[in-house]
Amino acid sequence: MQEKESGEMSRRFLLKTLGGGAALLGLIKLPSALAQVSGQAIQQMPSFTGPDANPYWGAVGTFVIYPQKLPLIQLTDRPVQLETPRHYFLTPFTPNAAFYVRWHLEGIPNAVNLSEWRLFVEGHVEKALALTMSDLMKRFKSISIAAVNQCSGNSRSRFQPRVPGAQWGNGAMGNALFTGVRLKDLLDAAGVKTGSLQVQFEGLEKGRGLKDSVSYRYLKSLNLNDPVINETIVAYEMNGEPLPMLNGFPVRLVVPGKFSTYWTKSLTWIRVLTEPDTNFWMTKTYCVPDTSRGNTTPKDVKDGWVKLIPVGTMPVRSFIITPDGSGKIPVEMSVTVRGITFSGDGRVVKVEFSEDDGTTWINARLGEDYGRYSFRTWEATWIPKRTGSYILAVRATDEKGNTQPDEGVWNPKGYLWNKIERQEVMVDVAQ
Amino acid sequence: MKKIIYILIGLLVIALNKPLLAKTDLPGLVRSGQYSKGTLLSISQPDAIKQSLDAVYSVGTYPLYTPELVPGEGRDIIQGYCNLCHSVTYITMQPPLPAATWEDEVYKMINTYGALIPEDETRQVIAYLQAHYTPETRRQ
Repeated sequence: MQEKESGEMSRRFLLKTLGGGAALLGLIKLPSALAQVSGQAIQQMPSFTGPDANPYWGAVGTFVIYPQKLPLIQLTDRPVQLETPRHYFLTPFTPNAAFYVRWHLEGIPNAVNLSEWRLFVEGHVEKALALTMSDLMKRFKSISIAAVNQCSGNSRSRFQPRVPGAQWGNGAMGNALFTGVRLKDLLDAAGVKTGSLQVQFEGLEKGRGLKDSVSYRYLKSLNLNDPVINETIVAYEMNGEPLPMLNGFPVRLVVPGKFSTYWTKSLTWIRVLTEPDTNFWMTKTYCVPDTSRGNTTPKDVKDGWVKLIPVGTMPVRSFIITPDGSGKIPVEMSVTVRGITFSGDGRVVKVEFSEDDGTTWINARLGEDYGRYSFRTWEATWIPKRTGSYILAVRATDEKGNTQPDEGVWNPKGYLWNKIERQEVMVDVAQ
Repeated sequence: MKKIIYILIGLLVIALNKPLLAKTDLPGLVRSGQYSKGTLLSISQPDAIKQSLDAVYSVGTYPLYTPELVPGEGRDIIQGYCNLCHSVTYITMQPPLPAATWEDEVYKMINTYGALIPEDETRQVIAYLQAHYTPETRRQ
């Protein structure tokens, strides 16, 4: 009992001194992520974190059960937002049953009748289409791509000062092998007329708001001249299975390299536009400062200096999955440090591992390459030579030369976090 | 009779959370056989769903796991208005937010998302959030 109490005290003390002290000094340096699994299973995590940064790897919600899902971390229950626990990222492909969930409006499908459902391609086209699932599978060439789906607000709970929104830890991401048809093939079949500018996507998700209000429809658009149009697919399979209902059955858009906001779920309307889409979901939210890394300050936002543009490509990231700090490591044991990496801006070409809080780095080994938009696993052999506390760190560099920075980012909506990740581990005697 | 005594001893051991073996019995073993009541509770596994060949692809209802808001003046109003579009997990999930941020959030719900909250009630909603969910006031 005494042990439990002192443990609780020291943890509170740690959180206060690390978080509060750092925030006061303006350093905002999170030394390491606390494990998501723990060496004990009796005491609960705090039910919320803040005003300091969330010190845990993942979000602090409870584990919950949803249809077609393993226990995931709850952020909200209506609309549904669920985070994938840390240890599902040991493999390059995230299981469908563990894949995170994020909807915007409460009216999401429970049941879809495929004899009535159609995918409509309409708007400024020669010939509007209404395609069945069978049409998609049989009339068009099927194509598969491994691609990371990451919420724009992944890791939002790291922000200092904290910003409102879904308080994700690191698990609002996943990688899957998506199979479907090229968006371009559908657009070609419909015949995009000259003078077209954008293509808009809408799914079966609907809210309680008045018809056509922002709380009724979720609308996203891509520029027709964006190179990503040629890589975008309408996916009817995810990891060789139908999409889970919560991940967008019957079909969802897959926009490789871009944040998930564009990956419309339960996609039903593809609409070719002649004017820029200025709806709320394009111009008022999912927007980032038009600055380096999308970084700004609360003061500049208040003073009106910040020009916002739609969020786009995912910056390079890498994560340590194990060891996770839930147990100690015997000194001089050869430990395999494992994790994943990805970038929306080109293949990751280098992952570096540090055992000393980022002072010195060694190259990690990269796992199998499933394509430039996929998670790629990495590992490093680490033999701790002394006892004590270590701060492990990992950083990745993509083929465009972008390397993860050691500074956080701040913007009013909480997007684009890609700071170097750290994990504290304790090494103790072996004899 | 012996059986009952063993069961009682077993229960006593579990209740007292005392290790079954003295720590000197096995080399290096410091603690073992320690159990306690699972305060975090267990999660039941969902049973299979019945399927039929009717072209309808379906899952069951989406479960709500909404925690209670802190008791206080204005809670009923919050639950009435906010719950129309989203559950109050949208409040409990947030970090403690400054009073001014809560005010901005409520006006965002009204002006951007079209929440229909009368003026008086709006003030009460804001006052409730500020009274329980700021860095100075948040307790749970």
